[in-house]
Amino acid sequence: MFAKHIQPMVFPARRLYVGLMLQVMGRALQAVSEIDAAVQAEARALPDGFLFEMMVMPDGSRLIVEHIGNGRLYYHGDESPRPVDLSIRFKHIAHAFLVLSFQEKTSVAFANDRMLVDGEISYAVRMTRILNRLETFILPKLVAQRAVKEYPASLHLPEKLFRAARIYLKVATNFVETART
Amino acid sequence: MSNQYYEFFCPVKVIAGRAALEHIPFELTGMAAKRPMIVTDKGVRAAGLLEPVIAACEESGLEIVSIYDDVPPDSSTDVVKDIAGIYRSEKCDSLIAVGGGSAIDTAKAVNILVSEGGDDIAKYSGAGIIKRPLKPFLVVPTTAGTGSEVTSVAVITDTRKSVKLPFSSSFLLPNAAVIDPRMTLTLPPHVTAATAMDAMTHATEAFTCMAKNPLSDAYATSAIKKISHSLLNVMDNPKDSEGRLELAQASTMAGIAFSNSMVGLVHALGHATGAICHLPHGLCMSLFLPYVLEYNLETIREPLGELLLYLEGPEVYAATPSNRRAEASISALRKLRDELHKRCKLPRTLKETGSVTEDQLDRIADMALDDGAIMFNPKEVLLEDARAVLKRAWA
Repeated sequence: MFAKHIQPMVFPARRLYVGLMLQVMGRALQAVSEIDAAVQAEARALPDGFLFEMMVMPDGSRLIVEHIGNGRLYYHGDESPRPVDLSIRFKHIAHAFLVLSFQEKTSVAFANDRMLVDGEISYAVRMTRILNRLETFILPKLVAQRAVKEYPASLHLPEKLFRAARIYLKVATNFVETART
Repeated sequence: MSNQYYEFFCPVKVIAGRAALEHIPFELTGMAAKRPMIVTDKGVRAAGLLEPVIAACEESGLEIVSIYDDVPPDSSTDVVKDIAGIYRSEKCDSLIAVGGGSAIDTAKAVNILVSEGGDDIAKYSGAGIIKRPLKPFLVVPTTAGTGSEVTSVAVITDTRKSVKLPFSSSFLLPNAAVIDPRMTLTLPPHVTAATAMDAMTHATEAFTCMAKNPLSDAYATSAIKKISHSLLNVMDNPKDSEGRLELAQASTMAGIAFSNSMVGLVHALGHATGAICHLPHGLCMSLFLPYVLEYNLETIREPLGELLLYLEGPEVYAATPSNRRAEASISALRKLRDELHKRCKLPRTLKETGSVTEDQLDRIADMALDDGAIMFNPKEVLLEDARAVLKRAWA
């Protein structure tokens, strides 16, 4: 009975959560590419102007990020200035929720065929590594361990806190700037 | 609630065993096909492997309308376009691929063009672009290793842009795979060994990588058992048609397993080594397998330990303490490689290949890190990890 009443609220809440998380991740991708040399090294291999999309099928929330050169990423929101070069698409919002609520690792989601990759696979592998590195910075260790295949042993608390603080500050600033415009 | 989730798909009819080739006419006419074209390579033709296929069809009144026997080892978009042109001009209505991975991949790509239209195969590159069934298509493998007869992918080189174009769609799968022991009887020893180790790697990685599932596990373990039982017998008695059939079936089963559960670091390193040093794929698989299993050991201890039963049999399995079984599985694979080296000099290290130099290892590691297979490796692989595995595999 209770489930019957709660069910109509679950779906919009899930949609809202996934949409919000994609916005946070898009901004965080831009932020981490501004402060982390390892992410910059990974992103440098992408062509300048390379557009990456992560979205929920069939036409749900999405994030669009562009490699603007020198390893820097730029978050475009949910609208792409031109056709994207690489798209990672969740087959259903339930699958996106599993990954974005850290109940299923990104790598496991790939293995479970929750997502479709359209574009060059080597770039998808690279973007996954960037996403993993971002998650290890911005999530508490216990949560990050659920999100990535292996939590890096070399990442110690002071570095993690320092990077996370900078990323969150940049994300918050970006949210405020976007709201103003 | 269980967290497990998996997908498993294999609609290919497998026709295996004695006089399997003689089923081709029935299968084709059952799909209303009357004008088949054979796609193969010069080696297959020179080995006399086309004759039993043609004889089987002619005896049933089915004429092979056209034979294209010039598929190169690395097939290209131009070859695909040429074959599609011949198919159309000869008014063919179906395809039979006779050969190894290259002939099969080429025929898959030709099937796209002749079914969907046009001359530009690059247009159909990617996942899920093809949305409807293609022309009737049978595959007769002549090696026992790639498993291409049951995989839904093909790779074709775009020579002008110097890139490899991947094609992925369930519609690429053939209607039937015809596995006849006559087709592998004349395989030279080093090809028999390398292709069987390719199948062994498909099965081992399918059983130990991230997308393993109960159905692919069943195919993988069965394939490992068949290879372990038959490979050395076939190396000693190449005309052993029962052993040949066992290896051919194992290859198909391993193909079904890995196409439903993917592969990992062995393939990532193998693809990169093949691309940079031009070594055959099966040889790379055999070479890297134990080193990668050692790298992954603590993540895959349980499934790898289980494989001892299929590699060495119940007596060795029962006599080995459960906490040593994973290591014993790796030893069994090393032993098998040593035996193959004794019989046909199949290299066990990169140095033994004579085609790799130590200064190429860093490039191989770099390239392997961008390979799609690395996503499904059970343990995270960083650049220094890939380098370390390559160093161990060097000598």
